[in-house]
Amino acid sequence: MKIKSRQLCFILIAYTAVTKLLIYPTVLATFCDRDVLIPAVINFFIEGVLIWAVSFLCSRTDKTFFELLQGTIGRIGAKIVYGFFAAFFMLATIIPIFEQKLYVHAIFYDTVPSLIVFLPFFVFAVYAGAKNFQNTGRCADMCLPLFIFTMLFIFFMSWSEVEWSNLLPMFTTPAQKLFTGAAGSSMRFIEPCWLLMFMGHFNYRKGDAARLTLSYVLGALITLLFLAVFVGIYGDIASSRTFAISRTSIFFSAIDTIGRIDLIMLYVLEIVMLFAVVLNIQLAVHALKLCTGYENSMVLSVAVNAALMIVLIVCDNYFHNIQEFYFRWMWIAFLIFGVAIPALSWVLRRRNER
Amino acid sequence: MKGKFNLSKFSVVIYWLIIIALLGLFFSNDFGLVDIHKTAIITAVGVDTDTDGEVLVTCEVAVPQPSQSGDNIKYTRIQGSGLTIADALNEVNSKTGFYPKLQFCKLILLGDSCKEGELFRLLGCFYRKNYSELTALVAMCDGKASDMLAMKSPVTDMTSEAITKALSEEIEKSANATSTNLKDIAMTQYSKSKACYMPYVEANTPGTSENGGNGDNVGGESGQQGGQGGQGGQGGQGGGGGGESGGSQGGGEGGQQSSQSGGASKGGGGEEMEFTARRTAIFADGKFKGFLDERQSFALAILEDEIRLAVLPCDAEGVHYSVGLKNVDGGVSLKVENGQPKLTVSFKANAQIQGARVVVTPNETAHDDVVPEPVLRGAEEEIKDRISALLEILKENNCDILGVRELLYKFNTKYFEAFKDDILSRMEVEYQVEIISVN
Repeated sequence: MKIKSRQLCFILIAYTAVTKLLIYPTVLATFCDRDVLIPAVINFFIEGVLIWAVSFLCSRTDKTFFELLQGTIGRIGAKIVYGFFAAFFMLATIIPIFEQKLYVHAIFYDTVPSLIVFLPFFVFAVYAGAKNFQNTGRCADMCLPLFIFTMLFIFFMSWSEVEWSNLLPMFTTPAQKLFTGAAGSSMRFIEPCWLLMFMGHFNYRKGDAARLTLSYVLGALITLLFLAVFVGIYGDIASSRTFAISRTSIFFSAIDTIGRIDLIMLYVLEIVMLFAVVLNIQLAVHALKLCTGYENSMVLSVAVNAALMIVLIVCDNYFHNIQEFYFRWMWIAFLIFGVAIPALSWVLRRRNER
Repeated sequence: MKGKFNLSKFSVVIYWLIIIALLGLFFSNDFGLVDIHKTAIITAVGVDTDTDGEVLVTCEVAVPQPSQSGDNIKYTRIQGSGLTIADALNEVNSKTGFYPKLQFCKLILLGDSCKEGELFRLLGCFYRKNYSELTALVAMCDGKASDMLAMKSPVTDMTSEAITKALSEEIEKSANATSTNLKDIAMTQYSKSKACYMPYVEANTPGTSENGGNGDNVGGESGQQGGQGGQGGQGGQGGGGGGESGGSQGGGEGGQQSSQSGGASKGGGGEEMEFTARRTAIFADGKFKGFLDERQSFALAILEDEIRLAVLPCDAEGVHYSVGLKNVDGGVSLKVENGQPKLTVSFKANAQIQGARVVVTPNETAHDDVVPEPVLRGAEEEIKDRISALLEILKENNCDILGVRELLYKFNTKYFEAFKDDILSRMEVEYQVEIISVN
């Protein structure tokens, strides 16, 4: 059950961007004032290089990452690493799930901010989490056109309100703040880890490394453009506007007459966001399956989602504490799983090299 | 027969059914459905304060009514008070059972009394997360906001809509009002300029207009004051053109203040009123600094807004002309040359004659698009005068609503610390005004 390289490209375009459109722009604006693009460029550059490294590695071996680990550090070692990856993907899902919950409550529900209305998400997450990579690819096939269409529409509706000079002057924020912003938000940049999990699960064709890297660059450019639009519209008050994607198009002149038509686009984009969140759950289930050797994905998916749901319920009113914890400390996990392991994947033994 | 019930065959169908069901749950808000009669949409909010700093909030509420006739919305006003706007809205909730959300609030009207306090202490509530969208128009009004919202309008049953029309994009594009929304005022206030402005709404008796004027007067008899043309009235300028505006420049507040209650009772007593917003209230550091009169507001509008067609009264060779300005392109830029900040005010437009105080002859009107040189120069002088008057009042009040400090910070950052405090008085001003004929 393999995923196609085209579908991986779609994942890198769409999911890279949609996971950074809600609170990420606000967090950057809080820490980096008008220099929001700089920490984002730093993170995207590092991850872009790693995406290229991992995808180029895929051109050198047909093996999965698990098999590479197994060949280098043994089966037990590989299982342990995959166990950590499962935990890492679950940790990386917590903030996006909270964001989704808050976003759905704030934007789509005016009067019923109850946790209960979000919990059905886990029914979907359990089902999708148990599916294989072929299914993940099909979802990406479906999501990319939705993503492109909605983003074009949102950019179109936002464009007239943008004051590009709001991004000026650049490079006035102290370097320490910029790096704090970059490090604090780094847990949102785990795309090389996705690619590590997909390694060996797609048929590498000549040029795929370039295609995958360029897809990531495209996803990064869309995100950067959105960041610029967001700060261009809100300037110095951008840090007070959460759920950025829902805030930029509301000044479109036709909305006064015909109502919030932008919400239709946001509903559609929400579908892509949900699939992007579920991807981490799918990868956590996949990693857990290889770690435990237990083949029943449904049971593992239930376990992963149950854990996430418990975190969501227990910490329902502590999102800011969680966010702060992630901002302060989770860059360490990112450094290990998002940077070090993808970079070190080149030193793994690759027998049967192409 | 066994294979007939293989679940995997239906997995795609089940998958999509789950997705559709979840989408239904998420987006239909079926869990959140409440009796429509227990909800109400706040369409406008009027804010007044008293001397103790207590806030009186008047909500114009659209209440759905069961009706077969199509006239199914009733507009009513409900008041609440408290130390913050949120307190006041909570009182509205306690009085009515309505769940007050401001998502549909299109207008925030600040009464005259709000001049005394800190603007963003009052408005802070609207910027709290998800409390309201920042698209709501903000304006200050003559007298009490509660009284103005209680007035009737010949245009529509919804008073706030009538007021909003005076602040509409169309009026803004003719430079007859400087409309702003919550986002605009917060952005300029929290920028390096720390200043903002908002239109000043006045009520007039319908069908009246003050005599004379050079095109800047609208309406006439003030509904609030019951008199004509006094300080703060809508009278505008003296006849002929080029005269000073009757609108006050900050000093006219007393007259307005003292005349509120009478005006309010008049307006609220059932007489229909028209609304205009030709003047502009200006604020620096959240404190009220004064009013721009009609001419200064016009100058502000042509520099800040996208103008489609503005009508400029001017004099040339002893004749009064009304010149229509199209393709308007105005703005300011700042440079620091030899240690001296220099503000360049640029304005370009195409002109055509729309009216002249002479007897019209049919063969001349065909040439209205070819504007004589003296009229063009007269129009340029009028523009310069208006912009100059605007800059003068901003300098007097150290109120940077044109964003000069922000320009300094964006494009001449290294001089920012040196000039930020006194740039308005220190800068040189260069005018690049060019008005050419449409044809």
